[in-house]
Amino acid sequence: MSSPSPKPQQAQKSKAPQSSDTLYESRKKLYVRAVTGVFANWRWALVWITQILFYGLPWLSWNDRQAVLFHLAERKFYIFGTVFWPQDVFFLAILLIISAYALFFFTAIAGRLWCGYACPQTVYTEIFMWIEQKIEGDHIRRQKLDQAPMSANKLFRRSAKFLVWGLVALWTGFTFVAYFSPTSELLEAARTFSFGPWELFWILFYGAFTFLFAGVLREQVCKYMCPYARFQAVMFDPDTLVITYDEARGEPRGVRKKGVDPRSLGKGDCIDCGICVQVCPTGIDIRDGLQYECIGCAACIDACDQVMDKMNYPRGLIRYTTENALKKNWGNKEIVAHVFRPRTLIYGTVLAVVCLAFVWGLASRDPLRVDVIRDRASLAREVEGGQIENVYRLHVMNMAESTRTFTFEVSGLPGVKIAGGPPRIEVGPASTQSVTLQVLVPYDAGKPGSNEIEFLITAEDDPSLSLREETTFLLPR
Amino acid sequence: MLKLIQVLWPSFAVAALAEAVFFTVIDPQELYLFGQVVHYGALATYSIAFLGFWLVCAASSLSTLFLQRSAADINRRN
Repeated sequence: MSSPSPKPQQAQKSKAPQSSDTLYESRKKLYVRAVTGVFANWRWALVWITQILFYGLPWLSWNDRQAVLFHLAERKFYIFGTVFWPQDVFFLAILLIISAYALFFFTAIAGRLWCGYACPQTVYTEIFMWIEQKIEGDHIRRQKLDQAPMSANKLFRRSAKFLVWGLVALWTGFTFVAYFSPTSELLEAARTFSFGPWELFWILFYGAFTFLFAGVLREQVCKYMCPYARFQAVMFDPDTLVITYDEARGEPRGVRKKGVDPRSLGKGDCIDCGICVQVCPTGIDIRDGLQYECIGCAACIDACDQVMDKMNYPRGLIRYTTENALKKNWGNKEIVAHVFRPRTLIYGTVLAVVCLAFVWGLASRDPLRVDVIRDRASLAREVEGGQIENVYRLHVMNMAESTRTFTFEVSGLPGVKIAGGPPRIEVGPASTQSVTLQVLVPYDAGKPGSNEIEFLITAEDDPSLSLREETTFLLPR
Repeated sequence: MLKLIQVLWPSFAVAALAEAVFFTVIDPQELYLFGQVVHYGALATYSIAFLGFWLVCAASSLSTLFLQRSAADINRRN
Protein backbone atom coordinates (compact mmCIF):
# COMPACT_ATOMS: atom_id res chain seq x y z
CA MET A 1 0.00 0.00 0.00
CA SER A 2 2.96 2.32 -0.36
CA SER A 3 1.87 5.34 -2.28
CA PRO A 4 3.57 6.41 -5.48
CA SER A 5 5.73 9.50 -5.30
CA PRO A 6 3.28 12.24 -6.34
CA LYS A 7 0.72 11.29 -3.72
CA PRO A 8 2.29 12.53 -0.48
CA GLN A 9 2.88 15.88 -2.09
CA GLN A 10 -0.73 16.15 -3.07
CA ALA A 11 -1.89 15.11 0.34
CA GLN A 12 0.30 17.73 1.98
CA LYS A 13 -0.86 20.40 -0.37
CA SER A 14 -4.51 19.79 0.32
CA LYS A 15 -4.08 19.26 4.01
CA ALA A 16 -1.61 21.91 5.06
CA PRO A 17 -3.72 25.07 4.95
CA GLN A 18 -6.63 23.68 6.93
CA SER A 19 -6.84 22.12 10.33
CA SER A 20 -7.09 18.37 9.98
CA ASP A 21 -10.37 18.38 11.88
CA THR A 22 -12.18 19.84 8.93
CA LEU A 23 -11.68 16.72 6.85
CA TYR A 24 -14.77 15.19 8.39
CA GLU A 25 -16.67 18.13 9.73
CA SER A 26 -16.65 20.53 6.80
CA ARG A 27 -17.99 17.78 4.59
CA LYS A 28 -20.60 19.12 2.25
CA LYS A 29 -23.74 17.17 2.92
CA LEU A 30 -24.82 15.30 -0.17
CA TYR A 31 -28.40 15.30 -1.34
CA VAL A 32 -28.22 12.35 -3.63
CA ARG A 33 -30.77 12.32 -6.40
CA ALA A 34 -32.58 9.00 -6.77
CA VAL A 35 -31.88 7.09 -9.93
CA THR A 36 -33.58 4.34 -11.92
CA GLY A 37 -32.21 2.12 -14.63
CA VAL A 38 -30.51 -1.16 -15.38
CA PHE A 39 -27.72 -0.81 -12.85
CA ALA A 40 -29.99 0.59 -10.15
CA ASN A 41 -32.15 -2.51 -10.69
CA TRP A 42 -29.12 -4.72 -10.29
CA ARG A 43 -28.25 -2.97 -7.05
CA TRP A 44 -31.77 -3.36 -5.72
CA ALA A 45 -31.75 -7.01 -6.74
CA LEU A 46 -28.60 -7.46 -4.69
CA VAL A 47 -30.06 -5.48 -1.79
CA TRP A 48 -32.95 -7.95 -1.76
CA ILE A 49 -30.83 -11.05 -2.14
CA THR A 50 -28.24 -10.13 0.48
CA GLN A 51 -30.81 -8.87 2.98
CA ILE A 52 -33.21 -11.79 2.56
CA LEU A 53 -30.19 -13.98 3.31
CA PHE A 54 -28.95 -11.84 6.18
CA TYR A 55 -32.30 -11.28 7.90
CA GLY A 56 -33.69 -14.70 6.98
CA LEU A 57 -30.93 -17.19 7.76
CA PRO A 58 -31.13 -17.02 11.57
CA TRP A 59 -34.78 -18.14 11.34
CA LEU A 60 -34.14 -21.36 9.44
CA SER A 61 -33.92 -24.70 11.17
CA TRP A 62 -31.92 -27.73 10.21
CA ASN A 63 -31.98 -31.04 12.08
CA ASP A 64 -33.76 -29.42 15.03
CA ARG A 65 -31.25 -26.69 15.46
CA GLN A 66 -30.63 -23.27 13.94
CA ALA A 67 -29.38 -23.77 10.40
CA VAL A 68 -26.72 -21.08 10.52
CA LEU A 69 -25.32 -20.38 13.94
CA PHE A 70 -21.85 -19.39 14.99
CA HIS A 71 -22.31 -20.79 18.43
CA LEU A 72 -19.71 -19.06 20.55
CA ALA A 73 -20.60 -20.78 23.79
CA GLU A 74 -20.18 -24.24 22.24
CA ARG A 75 -17.29 -23.11 20.06
CA LYS A 76 -18.96 -24.62 17.02
CA PHE A 77 -20.07 -23.07 13.76
CA TYR A 78 -23.20 -24.65 12.32
CA ILE A 79 -23.80 -24.05 8.63
CA PHE A 80 -26.66 -26.27 7.54
CA GLY A 81 -25.38 -29.84 7.47
CA THR A 82 -21.81 -28.88 8.20
CA VAL A 83 -20.42 -28.22 11.62
CA PHE A 84 -17.09 -26.51 12.05
CA TRP A 85 -15.04 -27.15 15.15
CA PRO A 86 -12.07 -25.17 16.41
CA GLN A 87 -9.92 -27.89 14.80
CA ASP A 88 -11.28 -26.78 11.42
CA VAL A 89 -9.59 -23.37 11.54
CA PHE A 90 -7.83 -24.52 8.38
CA PHE A 91 -11.13 -24.09 6.51
CA LEU A 92 -11.52 -20.57 7.82
CA ALA A 93 -8.07 -19.76 6.45
CA ILE A 94 -9.04 -21.22 3.06
CA LEU A 95 -12.28 -19.26 3.13
CA LEU A 96 -10.34 -16.04 3.67
CA ILE A 97 -8.04 -16.91 0.76
CA ILE A 98 -11.08 -17.58 -1.42
CA SER A 99 -12.61 -14.23 -0.47
CA ALA A 100 -9.37 -12.40 -1.18
CA TYR A 101 -8.91 -14.03 -4.58
CA ALA A 102 -12.55 -13.51 -5.51
CA LEU A 103 -12.06 -9.83 -4.73
CA PHE A 104 -8.86 -9.68 -6.83
CA PHE A 105 -10.54 -11.57 -9.66
CA PHE A 106 -13.68 -9.46 -9.88
CA THR A 107 -11.80 -6.20 -9.35
CA ALA A 108 -9.39 -7.03 -12.17
CA ILE A 109 -12.32 -7.75 -14.50
CA ALA A 110 -14.79 -5.01 -13.68
CA GLY A 111 -13.49 -2.78 -10.91
CA ARG A 112 -15.37 -2.22 -7.70
CA LEU A 113 -18.30 -4.55 -8.33
CA TRP A 114 -18.35 -5.45 -4.66
CA CYS A 115 -18.53 -1.82 -3.54
CA GLY A 116 -21.15 -0.77 -6.06
CA TYR A 117 -23.59 -3.59 -5.55
CA ALA A 118 -22.97 -5.89 -2.60
CA CYS A 119 -21.01 -4.14 0.16
CA PRO A 120 -23.12 -3.79 3.31
CA GLN A 121 -22.22 -0.10 3.40
CA THR A 122 -23.78 0.36 -0.05
CA VAL A 123 -26.73 -1.90 0.67
CA TYR A 124 -27.70 -0.24 3.97
CA THR A 125 -27.10 3.24 2.57
CA GLU A 126 -29.45 2.34 -0.28
CA ILE A 127 -32.11 1.17 2.19
CA PHE A 128 -31.67 4.20 4.45
CA MET A 129 -31.78 6.61 1.49
CA TRP A 130 -34.97 4.95 0.26
CA ILE A 131 -36.57 5.52 3.67
CA GLU A 132 -35.30 9.10 3.68
CA GLN A 133 -36.75 9.69 0.23
CA LYS A 134 -40.14 8.27 1.25
CA ILE A 135 -40.35 10.44 4.37
CA GLU A 136 -38.55 13.65 3.46
CA GLY A 137 -39.07 13.72 -0.29
CA ASP A 138 -36.60 13.96 -3.16
CA HIS A 139 -33.14 15.53 -3.03
CA ILE A 140 -34.44 19.08 -3.54
CA ARG A 141 -37.09 18.81 -0.83
CA ARG A 142 -34.53 17.30 1.53
CA GLN A 143 -32.16 20.19 1.02
CA LYS A 144 -34.96 22.70 1.56
CA LEU A 145 -36.08 20.88 4.67
CA ASP A 146 -32.53 21.01 6.01
CA GLN A 147 -32.31 24.74 5.45
CA ALA A 148 -35.79 25.51 6.75
CA PRO A 149 -36.21 26.66 10.35
CA MET A 150 -37.63 24.14 12.77
CA SER A 151 -41.36 23.68 12.30
CA ALA A 152 -43.97 21.09 13.18
CA ASN A 153 -43.60 19.57 9.72
CA LYS A 154 -39.81 19.42 9.95
CA LEU A 155 -39.92 17.99 13.44
CA PHE A 156 -42.42 15.37 12.36
CA ARG A 157 -40.50 14.29 9.27
CA ARG A 158 -37.17 14.25 11.09
CA SER A 159 -38.54 12.20 13.97
CA ALA A 160 -40.32 9.82 11.61
CA LYS A 161 -37.12 9.30 9.62
CA PHE A 162 -34.98 8.71 12.68
CA LEU A 163 -37.60 6.40 14.14
CA VAL A 164 -37.79 4.21 11.03
CA TRP A 165 -34.00 4.24 10.66
CA GLY A 166 -33.72 3.32 14.33
CA LEU A 167 -36.11 0.40 13.95
CA VAL A 168 -34.27 -0.95 10.91
CA ALA A 169 -30.97 -0.51 12.74
CA LEU A 170 -32.24 -2.27 15.87
CA TRP A 171 -33.59 -5.13 13.80
CA THR A 172 -30.25 -5.37 12.05
CA GLY A 173 -28.45 -5.48 15.39
CA PHE A 174 -30.82 -8.15 16.65
CA THR A 175 -30.27 -10.22 13.52
CA PHE A 176 -26.51 -9.86 13.84
CA VAL A 177 -26.53 -11.15 17.41
CA ALA A 178 -28.87 -13.99 16.35
CA TYR A 179 -25.97 -15.41 14.35
CA PHE A 180 -23.99 -15.90 17.53
CA SER A 181 -26.65 -16.55 20.14
CA PRO A 182 -29.57 -18.83 19.20
CA THR A 183 -32.54 -16.93 17.74
CA SER A 184 -35.06 -18.85 19.83
CA GLU A 185 -33.35 -17.79 23.07
CA LEU A 186 -33.05 -14.20 21.85
CA LEU A 187 -36.74 -14.09 20.94
CA GLU A 188 -37.66 -15.41 24.34
CA ALA A 189 -35.45 -12.74 25.89
CA ALA A 190 -36.99 -10.08 23.66
CA ARG A 191 -40.49 -11.01 24.76
CA THR A 192 -39.72 -10.34 28.38
CA PHE A 193 -36.86 -7.94 27.65
CA SER A 194 -34.45 -10.07 29.62
CA PHE A 195 -31.44 -10.03 27.32
CA GLY A 196 -28.07 -10.91 28.74
CA PRO A 197 -26.02 -7.73 29.26
CA TRP A 198 -23.63 -8.59 26.44
CA GLU A 199 -26.36 -9.57 24.02
CA LEU A 200 -28.03 -6.24 24.63
CA PHE A 201 -24.71 -4.47 24.32
CA TRP A 202 -23.97 -6.02 20.90
CA ILE A 203 -27.50 -5.47 19.58
CA LEU A 204 -27.23 -1.78 20.45
CA PHE A 205 -23.62 -1.55 19.31
CA TYR A 206 -24.27 -3.07 15.90
CA GLY A 207 -27.55 -1.20 15.56
CA ALA A 208 -25.97 2.13 16.46
CA PHE A 209 -23.20 1.65 13.94
CA THR A 210 -25.67 0.64 11.23
CA PHE A 211 -27.54 3.85 11.93
CA LEU A 212 -24.36 5.94 11.99
CA PHE A 213 -22.76 4.41 8.88
CA ALA A 214 -25.84 4.12 6.65
CA GLY A 215 -27.72 7.16 7.89
CA VAL A 216 -25.09 9.73 8.74
CA LEU A 217 -21.57 8.91 7.55
CA ARG A 218 -22.47 7.25 4.23
CA GLU A 219 -19.86 8.02 1.55
CA GLN A 220 -17.34 9.05 4.21
CA VAL A 221 -17.05 5.42 5.25
CA CYS A 222 -15.94 4.57 1.71
CA LYS A 223 -13.72 7.61 1.37
CA TYR A 224 -11.94 7.65 4.70
CA MET A 225 -12.49 4.34 6.45
CA CYS A 226 -12.46 1.63 3.85
CA PRO A 227 -9.04 0.09 3.31
CA TYR A 228 -10.09 -1.53 0.03
CA ALA A 229 -10.57 1.87 -1.61
CA ARG A 230 -6.94 2.62 -0.86
CA PHE A 231 -5.39 -0.40 -2.51
CA GLN A 232 -7.90 -1.12 -5.25
CA ALA A 233 -5.63 0.58 -7.77
CA VAL A 234 -3.09 -2.23 -7.65
CA MET A 235 -5.72 -4.62 -9.02
CA PHE A 236 -6.68 -2.35 -11.90
CA ASP A 237 -4.99 -2.52 -15.26
CA PRO A 238 -5.74 -0.96 -18.67
CA ASP A 239 -8.10 -3.84 -19.48
CA THR A 240 -10.22 -3.48 -16.35
CA LEU A 241 -13.81 -2.43 -16.99
CA VAL A 242 -14.41 0.80 -15.13
CA ILE A 243 -17.12 3.41 -15.24
CA THR A 244 -15.80 5.94 -17.69
CA TYR A 245 -16.91 9.18 -19.21
CA ASP A 246 -16.14 9.16 -22.93
CA GLU A 247 -14.30 12.45 -23.05
CA ALA A 248 -13.65 12.37 -26.79
CA ARG A 249 -17.37 12.04 -27.43
CA GLY A 250 -18.63 14.33 -24.70
CA GLU A 251 -16.32 17.34 -24.92
CA PRO A 252 -16.60 20.22 -25.34
CA ARG A 253 -19.63 19.98 -23.11
CA GLY A 254 -22.33 22.62 -23.05
CA VAL A 255 -26.00 23.45 -23.03
CA ARG A 256 -27.88 23.20 -26.30
CA LYS A 257 -31.42 22.91 -27.62
CA LYS A 258 -32.92 19.52 -28.31
CA GLY A 259 -32.74 18.40 -31.92
CA VAL A 260 -29.72 20.53 -32.82
CA ASP A 261 -26.72 18.61 -34.09
CA PRO A 262 -24.05 19.27 -31.45
CA ARG A 263 -21.27 19.03 -34.01
CA SER A 264 -22.73 22.01 -35.88
CA LEU A 265 -22.31 24.01 -32.66
CA GLY A 266 -18.81 22.67 -32.19
CA LYS A 267 -19.93 20.78 -29.11
CA GLY A 268 -19.68 17.22 -27.88
CA ASP A 269 -22.53 15.03 -26.62
CA CYS A 270 -22.37 16.12 -22.96
CA ILE A 271 -25.13 18.63 -22.34
CA ASP A 272 -23.61 19.53 -18.98
CA CYS A 273 -26.87 18.89 -17.13
CA GLY A 274 -24.92 17.79 -14.05
CA ILE A 275 -27.28 14.91 -13.27
CA CYS A 276 -24.35 12.48 -13.17
CA VAL A 277 -22.97 14.53 -10.28
CA GLN A 278 -26.35 14.80 -8.53
CA VAL A 279 -26.87 11.04 -8.47
CA CYS A 280 -23.35 10.21 -7.32
CA PRO A 281 -23.44 8.81 -3.79
CA THR A 282 -19.87 10.00 -3.16
CA GLY A 283 -20.43 13.41 -4.73
CA ILE A 284 -17.74 13.24 -7.41
CA ASP A 285 -17.84 14.25 -11.04
CA ILE A 286 -17.11 11.18 -13.16
CA ARG A 287 -16.18 13.49 -16.03
CA ASP A 288 -12.95 14.27 -14.19
CA GLY A 289 -11.82 10.72 -14.82
CA LEU A 290 -11.35 7.67 -12.61
CA GLN A 291 -11.11 8.69 -8.96
CA TYR A 292 -10.52 6.67 -5.85
CA GLU A 293 -13.80 7.91 -4.37
CA CYS A 294 -15.77 6.20 -7.16
CA ILE A 295 -17.40 3.11 -5.68
CA GLY A 296 -18.46 1.83 -9.09
CA CYS A 297 -22.20 1.99 -8.43
CA ALA A 298 -22.97 3.03 -12.03
CA ALA A 299 -25.68 5.49 -10.90
CA CYS A 300 -24.15 8.02 -13.30
CA ILE A 301 -24.49 5.55 -16.18
CA ASP A 302 -28.20 5.09 -15.50
CA ALA A 303 -28.71 8.84 -15.16
CA CYS A 304 -26.74 9.76 -18.27
CA ASP A 305 -28.41 7.08 -20.41
CA GLN A 306 -31.80 8.60 -19.60
CA VAL A 307 -30.55 12.03 -20.63
CA MET A 308 -29.07 10.62 -23.84
CA ASP A 309 -32.43 8.97 -24.59
CA LYS A 310 -34.21 12.29 -24.15
CA MET A 311 -31.74 14.03 -26.44
CA ASN A 312 -31.97 11.18 -28.98
CA TYR A 313 -28.25 10.59 -28.68
CA PRO A 314 -26.86 7.07 -28.49
CA ARG A 315 -26.49 5.74 -24.94
CA GLY A 316 -23.16 5.15 -23.31
CA LEU A 317 -21.56 8.57 -22.97
CA ILE A 318 -20.77 7.25 -19.51
CA ARG A 319 -20.33 3.48 -19.61
CA TYR A 320 -18.39 0.49 -18.40
CA THR A 321 -15.35 0.39 -20.62
CA THR A 322 -11.60 -0.12 -20.36
CA GLU A 323 -8.75 2.28 -20.69
CA ASN A 324 -7.43 0.35 -23.69
CA ALA A 325 -10.83 0.16 -25.34
CA LEU A 326 -11.23 3.91 -25.14
CA LYS A 327 -7.74 4.57 -26.43
CA LYS A 328 -7.88 2.05 -29.26
CA ASN A 329 -11.57 2.36 -30.11
CA TRP A 330 -12.35 -1.25 -29.33
CA GLY A 331 -15.82 -2.70 -29.63
CA ASN A 332 -17.43 -5.09 -27.16
CA LYS A 333 -15.82 -8.09 -28.83
CA GLU A 334 -12.28 -6.91 -28.15
CA ILE A 335 -13.18 -5.87 -24.61
CA VAL A 336 -14.57 -9.33 -23.87
CA ALA A 337 -11.53 -10.94 -25.51
CA HIS A 338 -9.29 -8.97 -23.16
CA VAL A 339 -11.15 -10.17 -20.10
CA PHE A 340 -9.07 -13.32 -20.60
CA ARG A 341 -5.58 -12.09 -19.92
CA PRO A 342 -2.75 -13.50 -17.81
CA ARG A 343 -3.79 -11.56 -14.73
CA THR A 344 -7.41 -12.73 -14.67
CA LEU A 345 -6.45 -16.24 -15.76
CA ILE A 346 -3.99 -16.54 -12.88
CA TYR A 347 -6.47 -15.12 -10.36
CA GLY A 348 -9.19 -17.36 -11.80
CA THR A 349 -7.05 -20.49 -11.70
CA VAL A 350 -5.92 -19.89 -8.13
CA LEU A 351 -9.52 -19.18 -7.13
CA ALA A 352 -10.77 -22.37 -8.78
CA VAL A 353 -8.01 -24.50 -7.25
CA VAL A 354 -8.56 -23.11 -3.75
CA CYS A 355 -12.35 -23.58 -4.08
CA LEU A 356 -11.82 -27.19 -5.15
CA ALA A 357 -9.42 -27.75 -2.26
CA PHE A 358 -12.06 -26.36 0.11
CA VAL A 359 -14.79 -28.65 -1.20
CA TRP A 360 -12.48 -31.64 -1.29
CA GLY A 361 -11.21 -30.95 2.21
CA LEU A 362 -14.77 -30.64 3.50
CA ALA A 363 -15.91 -33.82 1.79
CA SER A 364 -13.00 -35.87 3.07
CA ARG A 365 -13.16 -34.56 6.62
CA ASP A 366 -12.97 -37.34 9.20
CA PRO A 367 -16.40 -37.85 10.74
CA LEU A 368 -14.72 -38.99 13.95
CA ARG A 369 -11.98 -37.43 16.02
CA VAL A 370 -10.54 -38.54 19.31
CA ASP A 371 -8.18 -36.81 21.71
CA VAL A 372 -6.46 -39.05 24.23
CA ILE A 373 -5.34 -37.33 27.42
CA ARG A 374 -3.41 -39.17 30.12
CA ASP A 375 -4.66 -38.61 33.62
CA ARG A 376 -1.81 -36.62 35.12
CA ALA A 377 -2.88 -37.06 38.75
CA SER A 378 -2.03 -40.75 38.96
CA LEU A 379 0.56 -41.83 36.46
CA ALA A 380 0.66 -45.53 37.26
CA ARG A 381 -0.99 -47.37 40.09
CA GLU A 382 -0.70 -50.93 41.27
CA VAL A 383 -4.03 -52.63 41.65
CA GLU A 384 -5.22 -56.04 42.78
CA GLY A 385 -3.73 -59.09 41.15
CA GLY A 386 -0.36 -57.51 40.45
CA GLN A 387 -1.65 -55.38 37.63
CA ILE A 388 -0.69 -51.83 36.76
CA GLU A 389 -3.37 -49.30 35.99
CA ASN A 390 -3.09 -46.14 33.86
CA VAL A 391 -6.03 -43.80 33.47
CA TYR A 392 -6.92 -42.01 30.25
CA ARG A 393 -9.57 -39.54 29.28
CA LEU A 394 -10.81 -39.81 25.73
CA HIS A 395 -12.62 -36.91 24.08
CA VAL A 396 -14.71 -38.45 21.33
CA MET A 397 -15.92 -35.96 18.73
CA ASN A 398 -18.71 -37.17 16.52
CA MET A 399 -18.75 -34.85 13.52
CA ALA A 400 -21.69 -36.65 11.89
CA GLU A 401 -25.27 -35.42 11.92
CA SER A 402 -26.55 -38.56 13.66
CA THR A 403 -26.11 -40.16 17.05
CA ARG A 404 -23.48 -42.85 17.01
CA THR A 405 -22.29 -45.49 19.45
CA PHE A 406 -18.59 -46.13 19.70
CA THR A 407 -16.69 -49.06 21.18
CA PHE A 408 -13.15 -49.02 22.47
CA GLU A 409 -10.39 -51.57 22.29
CA VAL A 410 -6.83 -51.34 23.45
CA SER A 411 -3.75 -53.17 22.16
CA GLY A 412 0.04 -52.91 22.16
CA LEU A 413 1.08 -54.83 25.28
CA PRO A 414 0.52 -58.49 26.17
CA GLY A 415 -2.50 -58.87 28.41
CA VAL A 416 -3.57 -55.24 28.12
CA LYS A 417 -7.27 -54.65 28.76
CA ILE A 418 -9.76 -52.04 29.76
CA ALA A 419 -11.05 -52.44 33.32
CA GLY A 420 -14.68 -53.48 33.37
CA GLY A 421 -14.61 -54.69 29.79
CA PRO A 422 -14.65 -52.64 26.60
CA PRO A 423 -17.08 -49.75 27.10
CA ARG A 424 -19.58 -48.35 24.64
CA ILE A 425 -20.57 -44.74 24.60
CA GLU A 426 -23.24 -42.90 22.72
CA VAL A 427 -22.32 -39.53 21.21
CA GLY A 428 -25.04 -37.20 19.94
CA PRO A 429 -24.99 -35.58 16.53
CA ALA A 430 -22.17 -33.08 16.15
CA SER A 431 -21.16 -33.29 19.74
CA THR A 432 -18.41 -34.37 22.07
CA GLN A 433 -18.42 -36.97 24.78
CA SER A 434 -15.67 -37.74 27.24
CA VAL A 435 -15.01 -41.15 28.64
CA THR A 436 -12.53 -42.22 31.32
CA LEU A 437 -10.82 -45.53 30.73
CA GLN A 438 -8.76 -47.49 33.22
CA VAL A 439 -6.29 -49.63 31.34
CA LEU A 440 -4.79 -52.64 33.10
CA VAL A 441 -1.56 -54.41 32.23
CA PRO A 442 0.24 -57.25 34.08
CA TYR A 443 3.25 -55.65 35.81
CA ASP A 444 5.77 -57.67 33.79
CA ALA A 445 4.13 -57.07 30.42
CA GLY A 446 6.57 -54.43 29.23
CA LYS A 447 9.72 -52.57 30.06
CA PRO A 448 9.71 -50.14 32.99
CA GLY A 449 8.94 -46.60 31.84
CA SER A 450 6.81 -45.73 28.89
CA ASN A 451 5.39 -48.31 26.52
CA GLU A 452 3.39 -47.62 23.41
CA ILE A 453 -0.22 -48.70 23.35
CA GLU A 454 -3.01 -47.98 20.93
CA PHE A 455 -6.71 -47.34 21.28
CA LEU A 456 -9.02 -48.48 18.55
CA ILE A 457 -12.30 -46.60 18.45
CA THR A 458 -14.99 -48.05 16.18
CA ALA A 459 -18.50 -46.94 15.32
CA GLU A 460 -20.92 -49.76 16.05
CA ASP A 461 -23.21 -49.05 13.12
CA ASP A 462 -20.37 -48.61 10.66
CA PRO A 463 -17.27 -50.71 11.42
CA SER A 464 -15.41 -49.02 8.56
CA LEU A 465 -15.48 -45.85 10.63
CA SER A 466 -12.69 -46.39 13.07
CA LEU A 467 -9.71 -44.54 14.39
CA ARG A 468 -6.44 -45.55 15.95
CA GLU A 469 -4.93 -43.27 18.55
CA GLU A 470 -1.50 -43.95 19.98
CA THR A 471 -0.55 -43.11 23.52
CA THR A 472 1.89 -44.30 26.16
CA PHE A 473 1.44 -46.64 29.08
CA LEU A 474 3.68 -46.12 32.10
CA LEU A 475 5.04 -49.08 34.04
CA PRO A 476 6.74 -48.32 37.36
CA ARG A 477 10.48 -48.92 37.60
CA MET B 1 -13.48 14.13 15.07
CA LEU B 2 -10.91 13.06 12.50
CA LYS B 3 -8.46 12.19 15.27
CA LEU B 4 -11.11 10.22 17.10
CA ILE B 5 -11.85 8.17 13.99
CA GLN B 6 -8.17 7.77 13.22
CA VAL B 7 -7.70 6.24 16.66
CA LEU B 8 -10.89 4.21 16.99
CA TRP B 9 -11.44 2.84 13.51
CA PRO B 10 -8.14 1.12 12.61
CA SER B 11 -7.90 -0.22 16.16
CA PHE B 12 -11.42 -1.64 15.82
CA ALA B 13 -10.50 -3.45 12.62
CA VAL B 14 -7.26 -4.85 14.05
CA ALA B 15 -9.00 -5.81 17.31
CA ALA B 16 -11.59 -7.78 15.34
CA LEU B 17 -8.79 -9.63 13.57
CA ALA B 18 -6.89 -10.23 16.81
CA GLU B 19 -10.05 -11.50 18.49
CA ALA B 20 -10.74 -13.95 15.66
CA VAL B 21 -7.19 -15.29 15.60
CA PHE B 22 -6.85 -15.45 19.39
CA PHE B 23 -10.05 -17.37 20.00
CA THR B 24 -9.68 -19.79 17.12
CA VAL B 25 -6.48 -20.86 18.81
CA ILE B 26 -7.47 -20.55 22.46
CA ASP B 27 -10.56 -21.86 24.18
CA PRO B 28 -11.88 -19.28 26.66
CA GLN B 29 -12.23 -22.09 29.19
CA GLU B 30 -8.46 -22.44 29.21
CA LEU B 31 -8.00 -18.86 30.32
CA TYR B 32 -7.00 -17.84 33.80
CA LEU B 33 -7.66 -14.48 35.37
CA PHE B 34 -5.52 -13.67 38.42
CA GLY B 35 -4.92 -17.36 38.89
CA GLN B 36 -8.63 -18.24 38.78
CA VAL B 37 -10.32 -20.04 35.93
CA VAL B 38 -12.41 -17.51 34.00
CA HIS B 39 -15.97 -18.17 35.06
CA TYR B 40 -17.86 -15.70 32.86
CA GLY B 41 -20.20 -16.87 30.15
CA ALA B 42 -18.77 -17.40 26.71
CA LEU B 43 -20.34 -14.27 25.22
CA ALA B 44 -19.06 -12.17 28.12
CA THR B 45 -15.54 -13.54 27.76
CA TYR B 46 -15.48 -12.90 24.02
CA SER B 47 -16.95 -9.44 24.46
CA ILE B 48 -14.60 -8.36 27.23
CA ALA B 49 -11.65 -9.73 25.28
CA PHE B 50 -12.73 -7.83 22.20
CA LEU B 51 -13.10 -4.58 24.08
CA GLY B 52 -9.72 -5.26 25.67
CA PHE B 53 -8.09 -5.82 22.29
CA TRP B 54 -9.76 -2.67 21.03
CA LEU B 55 -8.45 -0.68 23.97
CA VAL B 56 -4.89 -1.93 23.46
CA CYS B 57 -5.02 -1.27 19.72
CA ALA B 58 -6.52 2.16 20.32
CA ALA B 59 -3.67 2.94 22.72
CA SER B 60 -1.25 2.06 19.96
CA SER B 61 -3.08 4.23 17.41
CA LEU B 62 -3.15 7.05 19.92
CA SER B 63 0.62 6.81 20.49
CA THR B 64 1.19 6.85 16.73
CA LEU B 65 -0.92 9.95 16.45
CA PHE B 66 0.89 11.53 19.38
CA LEU B 67 4.36 10.82 18.01
CA GLN B 68 3.39 11.91 14.54
CA ARG B 69 3.00 15.53 15.56
CA SER B 70 5.43 17.72 13.71
CA ALA B 71 7.87 20.13 15.38
CA ALA B 72 5.61 22.98 14.30
CA ASP B 73 2.68 21.39 16.10
CA ILE B 74 4.67 20.97 19.29
CA ASN B 75 6.28 24.42 19.23
CA ARG B 76 3.04 26.21 18.59
CA ARG B 77 1.92 28.07 21.69
CA ASN B 78 -1.72 28.24 22.45
